[in-house]
Amino acid sequence: MNIPLAHASSAPRDHWLLGIAGLRLLIHRRSLLAGIGLCLALAASLGWLLIAGTHDLTLWQALRAATGDGNPLQVLLVRELRLPRLVAGLLSGAALGAAGCLLQTLARNRLATPGVIGIDDGATAFAVASIVAVPTSLAPTALALSGASTAAVLAFALAAGGGARGYRFIVVGIAIGVLFGALTNLMLARADIDAANAAYPWTVGSLNARPAQAVWLLGIGLALGLPAAKLLVRPLAVMRFSDNVAIGLGVDLPRIRLLTLALTVWLTALAVAVVGPVGLIALVAPEMARYLCRQHGVPVVNSALSGALLMVLADWVGRTVLAPVEIPVGIIMAIVGGPYLLWILLRQPSRTLT
Amino acid sequence: MTAARLPLPTVLLSAGLLLSVLCLASLLLGAGDVGIGPSLAALFGGGDDDARFVVFELRGLRTELAVLVGVALGAGGLLLQAATRNPLAEPGLLGVSAGASFAVVVAISLGASAGTLSLAVAVLGAMVGCVLVLLVTQLRGVGDDPVRLVLAGAAFTGLLTALSSLLLLQDQRTADEVRFWVIGALAGRSPDTVSWSLPGLILGLLVVLPLVRPLAALTLGERVASGLGHHPQLTRLATLLAVALLVGTATAAAGPIGFVGLVVPFLARRLVGSDVRRGLGVAILLGPCVVLAADILSRLLVRPYELPVGVVTAFVGAPILIAVVRSHRLPSL
Repeated sequence: MNIPLAHASSAPRDHWLLGIAGLRLLIHRRSLLAGIGLCLALAASLGWLLIAGTHDLTLWQALRAATGDGNPLQVLLVRELRLPRLVAGLLSGAALGAAGCLLQTLARNRLATPGVIGIDDGATAFAVASIVAVPTSLAPTALALSGASTAAVLAFALAAGGGARGYRFIVVGIAIGVLFGALTNLMLARADIDAANAAYPWTVGSLNARPAQAVWLLGIGLALGLPAAKLLVRPLAVMRFSDNVAIGLGVDLPRIRLLTLALTVWLTALAVAVVGPVGLIALVAPEMARYLCRQHGVPVVNSALSGALLMVLADWVGRTVLAPVEIPVGIIMAIVGGPYLLWILLRQPSRTLT
Repeated sequence: MTAARLPLPTVLLSAGLLLSVLCLASLLLGAGDVGIGPSLAALFGGGDDDARFVVFELRGLRTELAVLVGVALGAGGLLLQAATRNPLAEPGLLGVSAGASFAVVVAISLGASAGTLSLAVAVLGAMVGCVLVLLVTQLRGVGDDPVRLVLAGAAFTGLLTALSSLLLLQDQRTADEVRFWVIGALAGRSPDTVSWSLPGLILGLLVVLPLVRPLAALTLGERVASGLGHHPQLTRLATLLAVALLVGTATAAAGPIGFVGLVVPFLARRLVGSDVRRGLGVAILLGPCVVLAADILSRLLVRPYELPVGVVTAFVGAPILIAVVRSHRLPSL
């Protein structure tokens, strides 16, 4: 290592203590390695997906086409078809992964992900409303945000008796999800066939030809949201113990709770406005990050990276398994994540999020 | 448990009255052009051919089907709740309906046609779903926790739904045959549906009859039930068989209609207490009431279109699910 190790002996086990010009930074070794590994895997799969397809390119061709060089076919393939899809998958996966990690930690329950407690369905219902009623390109994102907040507020308010933790909260969330699902069906039943077709991707979760504007908004939202999430990690890590401990250590509980919930809603809604309800990403990605880190912390960044990787890979599987028929990424994730969800539920009944 | 709140005969009588009123309303009201006046005329032998066709053929069939499905789902829900001792157990929530629909989708994609095979197949699928429920309730720590059971059911349902859509994507013919069926609607079923679902329903109810007393004993706890000379495991197994028959029949006839099995036992408990013997009669009468009311609403809400009846039951059932979960202590069964 070239970075000077200050007080190497005082660093806790499994950590590196970096000291640069009087600043001290404690880094969990495995988390850093896991993050680097995930970044490499992500870069490799992005590169592979950019060059492979029905028309193979070389990496050099693909990179030149991405900047607008090369023959028109390659430019069209890369800039119009492959790149937007990859970016949409990357961003939405990252947003869902981070949101899942935040909400799981907040609720102290690994099953409390935005998808399970109905935030996805709320965002979907409102986004579908925007397609059916006001067909402008910006509306889905704005309405998805309001739908997601409605669902989150409902879930928290209605579960108030049992607090935000425990299974009661989750069943209330399931019921809210069912309500919003019924609302979506109601609107689809009333809409004419064109509007219903336009709204279809939002009901299963698909990365096919997503509106560019929503992807831009998601990118901006993620750029704002991830640093904010990183700031919340420290108080959240303390809140995993008990409320009393957290208060004693100086955490402003109501404020942190509100901020975390707002951030979860923000990330989930922006992602759902792009890709639709692919909620199981938010369940699987944090688990994957936690497994890779081997640390009982709040791995927000690694969850985001895992989410992006999972989303991109699931989309690739969906496009190739039954080609030329495309399986929406939501269905792939349901088939992969469903057994996993069952396994969590049935295998380790007493274990809560640690 | 709580004492009965209302005398049983009063409840049965008023539920019966309500049922007949709803049957009449179901014959008279519709999404189309035939209004109450012409329908009444047709009902008493007058009216033109159009009105008679609509009232007797379309709405009549629908009403019969709604009654059959309502009885099956109401009784199935009550029995499932009694057997699992879980007030949240509902065939739809626990994945029994999803098992039935998945089995039908598989059968149709393997070459069966929607009309002929679906009852046997749906019952088989519902049974697989029931057996899974039974296995899950045997797991330590899961069976006693009503909420975790529901979560497992939700996960199971999501998985089966995704697998079904995978099959449907792959195969256009299946998609066309099944698309209509998986929504869960009472309209547009063939007249045969009633004639083959009636035996399934009756068989299911016959299986139930000798089980009522052991089930009532089971609500006191397994040890007490064995002490009273019953066989808890056997009772549970037979009950789940009956539930599979009932729910499979209903699902084969009308597609998956959720939440009826939650709403009806909830109402029955409110009305006559949690005794299975009293509740079953009430559930058999209230089930058709709920399905009929939902079906009538589904015709009237978005005229001139119609809603799938499952959407209406979800709007009623989800708040009740929240209410049950929120109630301070989950009512023990």
